Amino acid sequence: MNAEPIGTAVNDPVPLELGHERMAVLARVGDHLMPAAHGMPSAAEIVTDARVGFVLRSRPDLRDPLMTALRPELGDDIEVRLDFLATQEPDAEAALQLVIVAGYYTAATVRALLGYEGQIAKPVNALEYPTYLEEGLLDSVVDRGPIWRDPETGNRAGAS
Amino acid sequence: MSTELADVLIIGAGASGGVVARRLAEAGFSVVCLEQGRWHDRSEYRGADLDWELTARRQWAGSPNVRALPEDYPVDDADADLSPLMFAGVGGSMLLFAGAWPRMLPSDFRVRSLDGVADDWPLTYEELRPYYERNDRHFGVSGLGGDPAYPQGEDPPLPPLPIGPGALKVARAHDRLGWHWWPEPNAILSAPYDGRHQCVQRGTCMQGCNEGAKASTDLTHWPRAIASGARLVTGARVLRIETNAHGLATGAEWLDEQGRANFLPAKVVVVAANAIGTARLLLLSSSSSHSDGLGNSSGLVGARLMMHPFASVSGLFDDDLESWQGHFGCSIESFEFYETDERRGFVRGAKWGLAPTGGPINAALPSRAGDAVWGPDHHLHVRERFGRGASWGLFGEDLPDAANRVALSSSLTDSHGIPAPELHYKVSENSRRLLDFHIDKASESLRAAGAHTVEVDRLMRYSGWHLLGTARMGDDAATSVLDRWNRCHDVANLYVVDGSCFVTSGGVNPTSTICALALRAADRMVETRFDQQVPA
Repeated sequence: MNAEPIGTAVNDPVPLELGHERMAVLARVGDHLMPAAHGMPSAAEIVTDARVGFVLRSRPDLRDPLMTALRPELGDDIEVRLDFLATQEPDAEAALQLVIVAGYYTAATVRALLGYEGQIAKPVNALEYPTYLEEGLLDSVVDRGPIWRDPETGNRAGAS
Repeated sequence: MSTELADVLIIGAGASGGVVARRLAEAGFSVVCLEQGRWHDRSEYRGADLDWELTARRQWAGSPNVRALPEDYPVDDADADLSPLMFAGVGGSMLLFAGAWPRMLPSDFRVRSLDGVADDWPLTYEELRPYYERNDRHFGVSGLGGDPAYPQGEDPPLPPLPIGPGALKVARAHDRLGWHWWPEPNAILSAPYDGRHQCVQRGTCMQGCNEGAKASTDLTHWPRAIASGARLVTGARVLRIETNAHGLATGAEWLDEQGRANFLPAKVVVVAANAIGTARLLLLSSSSSHSDGLGNSSGLVGARLMMHPFASVSGLFDDDLESWQGHFGCSIESFEFYETDERRGFVRGAKWGLAPTGGPINAALPSRAGDAVWGPDHHLHVRERFGRGASWGLFGEDLPDAANRVALSSSLTDSHGIPAPELHYKVSENSRRLLDFHIDKASESLRAAGAHTVEVDRLMRYSGWHLLGTARMGDDAATSVLDRWNRCHDVANLYVVDGSCFVTSGGVNPTSTICALALRAADRMVETRFDQQVPA
């Protein structure tokens, strides 16, 4: 069987190459979208070069639209930048949001604060008796009888 | 490769192709399958990795237009209200499907007689029931017998999967409301079965199952078919089906990954390429004797495309429900409002299936309905949603309309330069009314369960998983493409076994019905093998 992976391995070394200027814009956008509040750190604190690198290694297709969204020509005003992207370059806006959000919520610090351990394996125990049966939650469903429509009569099955 | 004449050539190694291959190979037929995709190993799936939500949006997305892999063909859906979803590879779209395994209901096969709309099927639920039951064993279905939404029959082979705390809340609410609910049958193992592991409730079924607990024919059917002598050729894109002067199919011309042309001769050709890919291939196979496409004397090849308009209704609860966890096939279902009640202002109905609500990136990004919360309240927004949701997915019956169709694009091509399919598809007024009603009722269900907020994603664009109807079956060759055994009226040795054959869509996830029809067709091929007309 041919089984070459589709996904890019997350440990592959891929040069970041966003550049200091664009990373500074990214931090300001991050602070604007997700500032420190309600016991959570800001995106600027969390979404460092390493986090951006993680995201782009997994999703190299995001690099170009991210570079577009962070280009210096859009100026210093973050709100103006985001408004422009939302109306004129929605693909770049979506990439920018995804990189910041993914960099943030894949960080161990943030996941610990959310009480999220990731998609961990919890094998089903088929011998465990379901609570809904203990509580009799299907009894009335069964007692009400068939609800399917008999194509021969057009009526509910069992109805006279 | 060898061009030895095959008894049967199958085009497409997905759900229906796998079912037919296994049945025919085990019956002693020489079977060759051409599949444009490739094998995927479970280790490729990202569900156990940190970046699963990232790759779910690109490399493992359901849309071929988003993935844009060489083995995908693009779909021009600019004139379609829904975008089609599918996957090219051994196992097909089952690799990314949710695993939900409901059957169509008896009334679904008789909508003309009962409701005066669309058409009746040329077969009944009772005729199909033995095939549903055999497939339940072949795929390894978990569920609870005795659901009063269906006629009685054989119980699923495995006990039901756990429903989780969110579904338990909803089940209690339905008990109070006096509404139907039942643990959903899923083609996902609740216990070890047939050499496969049970589900570990990682909740990433739709990005590929790392455990092999979710059924797909690369696991459940192809190994057995190959062990029985079937040959599966991957990276093989079929360009056209050829016919002879007697109007019989003689095999298929196909291109390998380098674009080299090949011809595979066969006595019988079985198309199993989904309702878009099959229609595309039949239209591409036009000839002097089939000028409008192969098997298209009725003019219905490509017409009557159905995709199940879909709405998601999510409830947010105060409790931590760990709703990122659990199988993504539905936990519970409700058929309370499935059957027609004309007082509602529409005909037919929808199945409801309750699903988990995903990981933190899904909770944080703007919803598909466009709601975004940024700034300091972003963190409250995420805490309110992440792990605290339960979502009813509503599949409404999609009535056939000849104007909803697959055609060939005059400008877009796949990586081999073959014309891509072009969709024309509008959601009907009946579907819109149906979804409005069901959204209201599903909202009532979630509020009764204790949801403090209900959010609705109405008519989701990227929801076209269920591709149906573009080569419908029927008894009259003037008004159908296939006969009641999935054989083409116009070409005696050509079969179509995927969802193209559907006469109407029902209002349920269709994979179990597609597979039951495919198994029935394969049984018929075995029974009539000595009467089958084949090219000289």
